[in-house]
Order: sequence, then structure tokens, then C-alpha cells
Amino acid sequence: MASDDDSLATLKVLLIGPSGAGKSALLIRYCDDEFDSESSTATIGIDFKIKKLSVRGKPYRLTLFDTAGQERFRTLSTSFYRGAHGVLLVYDISSRASFLSMEKWFEEAENNTGPDVVLYLVGTKLDKAEVVGRAVSTEEGEELARQHGALFCEVSAKTGEEVRRPFVEVVDGIIRKGLDVGSGRTGGTVKVGADEEGQGGYLSVCAC
Amino acid sequence: MESLSDTLWDVVICGTGLQQSLLALSLSRSGKKILHIDPKEYYGGPDAALSLEEAQRWQAEHASASATASSIFNSATILQSPEPANLPSRSYSLALSTQIIHTRSALLSQLVSSRAYRQIEFLSVGSFYVFKPSSDAQIPPTLSRIPSTREDVFSTTAIPARAKRSLMKFLKFVLDYDSESNAEVWRSHADEPLTTFLASQFSLDNELQAYVLALTMSLDQNVVTRDGLAVINRHLTSMGVFGPGFAAVYPKWGGLSEVAQVACRAGAVGGGIYILGTGIEKVVDQAEVDEPVEVVLSSGTTVKTTWLVLGTEDQPEAGAEQISRLVAVVTSPLASLFEVSVEAAPAPAVAVIAYPPGSVITKDGIASEQPVYVYAHSSDTGECPIGQSVLYFTTRTCPLAKALLEAALESLLTALESPQCLYQLYYQQSHGSTSIQSKGTLVHLPAPSLNLAFDDSTLESIHEAWKMVMDGKREDIDEEYMVFADREGEILAIKSKARVCTTHFISIPSDAA
Repeated sequence: MASDDDSLATLKVLLIGPSGAGKSALLIRYCDDEFDSESSTATIGIDFKIKKLSVRGKPYRLTLFDTAGQERFRTLSTSFYRGAHGVLLVYDISSRASFLSMEKWFEEAENNTGPDVVLYLVGTKLDKAEVVGRAVSTEEGEELARQHGALFCEVSAKTGEEVRRPFVEVVDGIIRKGLDVGSGRTGGTVKVGADEEGQGGYLSVCAC
Repeated sequence: MESLSDTLWDVVICGTGLQQSLLALSLSRSGKKILHIDPKEYYGGPDAALSLEEAQRWQAEHASASATASSIFNSATILQSPEPANLPSRSYSLALSTQIIHTRSALLSQLVSSRAYRQIEFLSVGSFYVFKPSSDAQIPPTLSRIPSTREDVFSTTAIPARAKRSLMKFLKFVLDYDSESNAEVWRSHADEPLTTFLASQFSLDNELQAYVLALTMSLDQNVVTRDGLAVINRHLTSMGVFGPGFAAVYPKWGGLSEVAQVACRAGAVGGGIYILGTGIEKVVDQAEVDEPVEVVLSSGTTVKTTWLVLGTEDQPEAGAEQISRLVAVVTSPLASLFEVSVEAAPAPAVAVIAYPPGSVITKDGIASEQPVYVYAHSSDTGECPIGQSVLYFTTRTCPLAKALLEAALESLLTALESPQCLYQLYYQQSHGSTSIQSKGTLVHLPAPSLNLAFDDSTLESIHEAWKMVMDGKREDIDEEYMVFADREGEILAIKSKARVCTTHFISIPSDAA
């Protein structure tokens, strides 16, 4: 982590939702502007990605956390959700089952985050709407989002259509709620990183 | 995606307690196929931090009055609980085996070198207090703070000048207790109780002995000189390592439970598969030594694995030492316990209170024979809502342990201007096996230690298990243990077709909205 970035307000945003919804594809398209149509199996190797983003003229550092496959058996830990400012709940508009599981994902997100968290429902694979057809209408998505006080949009990681929108709007939503985004850590937190040795031991000065 | 039963796993790990989870972390970059399961619906096993609802279910499962064959926990009772609707269950995370971590602990250096530490918020453990009962029923008992720095020793008014000199002399001695000249002083007394040594060699009076004994964090009042000095040395040399005024840290949101969860996430990021609420029904005997082990999961699925690693939290040792714990939630921030006592020190979230033997008296007038310790956790730990605190009491189990802990709670509340108590959970925890055991490719990690501070020897068995799984015959393999590069924004492997592509995160200029 570059040290000159440390002063930037840091926002923790999670991507959750059923396996195969396209969470990693969305993340990689947004962060790296890449899309790999052949990659179809579960994600390993992504811990989190960082993206800098300016909203209303102010820069933010977005740390984006993927599920690391722990959505498969619904074993995301409570620690994963800690301190989240925003959650993107991601489903596949070409899969009815994927959409139907979102109620449970909303419940999990609501149970594990604070009342001020910004929830955002994202329907992915918009490009499939014209090719193979939708299994979920835009109106259904909007309605589910409305019921949970969440924002909503549909995107395609394949074509890149609308991929920036959920990220920008979730950050905007977080700012509007006026969440404490200072350093992302509470006061009293101790740094234990190797480069951070302190001083002032018990009898550090001298004999007496 | 391959099904669980079609995969030949390199390792199946059962249980998500700290040890199993750290093993998963240590293997997270090995490319091994790992299936990590836990019979419980939550992470952390014996190190878990529970919501009130989870605590209620946990209590029911561990209510049996004696050390049974199926758990190291027993005799769990909820002594006090309001109507569940009146407390937001999820606003609490009560730690089952709360331990503080000394700043020089190898656990911290491994969390740093493995890069897992970034997901954990560490809070400081502040003052240590000694509980002083009052001889007059009209006057409340008091807590006297153990001076934590040299300046502190000088400025305190609680200790007479002559005693201060003796105390300073002792503290200087402990800092360098292993030097040749100092070792000569204590070696012949190594197996004597520390209190005897303090009185004979340093002329410390009872009060100063109580201060020193509190720093040993020992539940045995007869802790021997060798062990006591080692712990006090660890305490003193840990002071100031990561900042002024504290010698130990505590992970926010439930202590070691949080470390276990972060370690499991690292395991998942490395490709490990996680299933909760699923245990092991049966391990099928291997036909041949070199054959994979067949494991029948409680879900009915049979999986095959080369290594099977289990915990021993379900195997208490018969007749082994037990400790009694009482967890209490009180309706006060207990601000006086968490004051910053050293300039520029971070605000502490944990305070330690030691009750010397004899200072706790049950309703029936019987005095404690062993020390009682309390960890007071402020709401900064995230374990309770703002305005409340959690008190974790521990003492050695004896027939009166429960009554003594209840009396200790009551007298502490009196010393702290009588806040109300909302919730109390009592239970006993026994020792399981203390060393790693392996038979072929079946490995049992030891049960959690009963110590109040994290015991680095715990880490040795994890390292050993890692070596077995890694087939660690290479001489330099230890250098790789828990030493990882950052994974920030980096994709190490995108999986389909077993192709490995590495895309490093490139700093992207801020884009305008």
C-alpha cells in the first residue's frame, strides 16, 4: 500500500451473491477493464482489489472484497462483513434461481452490517438479454431493490455497459449517508505491522 | 465445478478453531486442494465469539455437569438473561476462550508475515489492577492499578518509597533474568513458589507480591519461580513494542475468533472450500497405508483425502485440570478502567483485574484459595453495544468455583459504583491433549491452552502439521512458513483449464464521476 494514499478516505465495499452471478467478472472489468469469457469456474486468488475513484470532486480509495468462493456453501464469516460501508448484491438476469436467492442474500447482508450500510442490487449479464433472453425483468429487480431500500442497476461485464455505475452510485450513497469514512479504523487501534516498531519499554531509559 | 466426492483432497481439515484455521492460512498459498469443514454453524470452534442467540444454543449443548467425552466445555449455565427481545442478540459477541496476545508473540509476527493482519483491528490491553477487599462493610472495595512504567512506579502514591526501591530492583532483575549473574540468584529457587522467592530475595511485602503475582497471569497461586519470571519477563519486554503503555493486544470483535475467521478467509482466497454445519460421521479404515483416507461427512457425502487434520476440542482428558469461566455483560462503560495511564498511549479496550487468593468471599463466607482474573472489555471491542461492557472471569475449577466467580462479580460491581448486570453465562473448560498426535496421515492438533495469555507453544503444532502436509523434507522449507507476499488486488490464478495467469494490480488514476 503506497504510503501517500494513506490519507485518502477508504471505503470498504463487498460483492456478494450466488455462485456464477458474475461478481468477479464485474470486479475485474471495473478495476482492470478486462473480461475473460472462458473463465467460468469459481473464483480463487482474489482477496481484495483497490480502485481510486473521485465522486463530487473528492478522491476515495475503494477496497472491493470478493467472496473468495465462500458464497458456495454460504460460509461467509461475520468478520468479512465488518466495517463494510456498502454491499453490492449481485445476481444473473438470465437465471431465475440466481434472482430468487437474493432475498436470502439481503437478509444475510442486513443481519451482518450496520444500519447505515448502503445496499445496491446489481443484475449482471445484460448482454445475454438479447441473445438468450432474460429470466428476470428490470421491473422485478427494481421492485426487490425498493423493498430493501437498495439502489439498483443492470450491467454487462462482457460489454462493459454500465459497469462503473454501481460503484460510483454506491460511493455517492455512502457519502450522502455521511458515514464515518475517516481512516476506516476506529480510534485506539494499534498498528502491528513490521515497519511500525514503537519505543518506550518498561525500563527503556536507564538504570536508576 | 467438481463435486466434493469426485475430488481427491490433499487435506481435509475439521474444525475452524484457531489452530485449524491457522493451518489453513499456512497452506493457503501451497496450491493444495483443501476442504475445511466445521460441525458448528459458526467459525471459531472453542475460540468462537457468540451472539446471545448462539450462546443460548451453545449453553444447551454444553450443559452436562461433568467433563463428558464429547467436549472440553461442560457445566454451562445461563445464570441471568433478560427477555431475549430486550437485547439485540447480534450486538454481542461473547468470546468463549478469551486470551490476550503479547506484542512479542510469534502469532503477531506470523499474522504480519502472512499478510493476514491487515484484516484484523488490534486494540491495546491497558492497565492491570489488583482487587483490594474492604475490611469495613460500609466502604466499597477498591482496585489499585499496577504501575506500568518506571515513571509510574516513581509517581504512584500507593507504594511507600522503600517498597518502591525493592520493586524497581526486582523489575530490573526480571528484565535481565537470564543473564549469568541473575540466573544464579533464582536458579536454586526455580521450583519454589514465586511468592517465597520474592519475599526471601527481594523482601517484597504481601502487597507488592500481589502486584507481581498479578503480572504472572497464573491461575495457580503457587506458580513456581521459573515459570513466573518467564511470564513477567515476557510482559515487561512486550511493553512499548508497538507503542507506549501496553504490552499486549486484543483483536477487535471477539479476539482469537476474529483471527480464525480471517485465517479461514485466506484459506478460501487460496482455493480452499469451506462448509459449516458439517462434521465427520466416520473415518473409514484405510485398506493400505498409501491409500487415501475415506471420510464420511455428517451430510452423508463421502470424501477422499490424503491428510485428515482434526482438533481435539471434543476429547477432554479425563481428570485433567479445569478452569471455570463467568461471562457477564454490565450496563456501564466502566470508563475508569480504560483510562489512558501513559502519555500518548492508545485508548485501551481491555483491562485486567487480579483478585489475590483470599480476596473473594462467597455468600457462605468461604474465601478463595486461588487467584481469580477478570478481563474487562469496553464496547470498543465490538463485543457489546456502546454504554455497556463485558467482564470475563476465570479461576481454577473447584467445588466452589461458580459461587466464587459470582461473588467476585458482585464485589467488582460494588467497587465500580454498582452498574447493573444484564447477562451471565457460566461454564467450565478442561484441558484436552497438549501435543500434536499423528497416526499415518491422520493428525490431531492439541486442544486450546487454558492460559489467559496466548501461548506461543500453540504455534509449534501448527507448524508441525504444515510440515507433514507439505512433506517437508527439504531443508529450507521452514523459511516459507507463513511468509507470503501481499495479495492486494492481485489475481494469482484463474482456474478454468488449470491455467495460471498473473495480473498485478496497476495503479489507476482517479477517474472523475
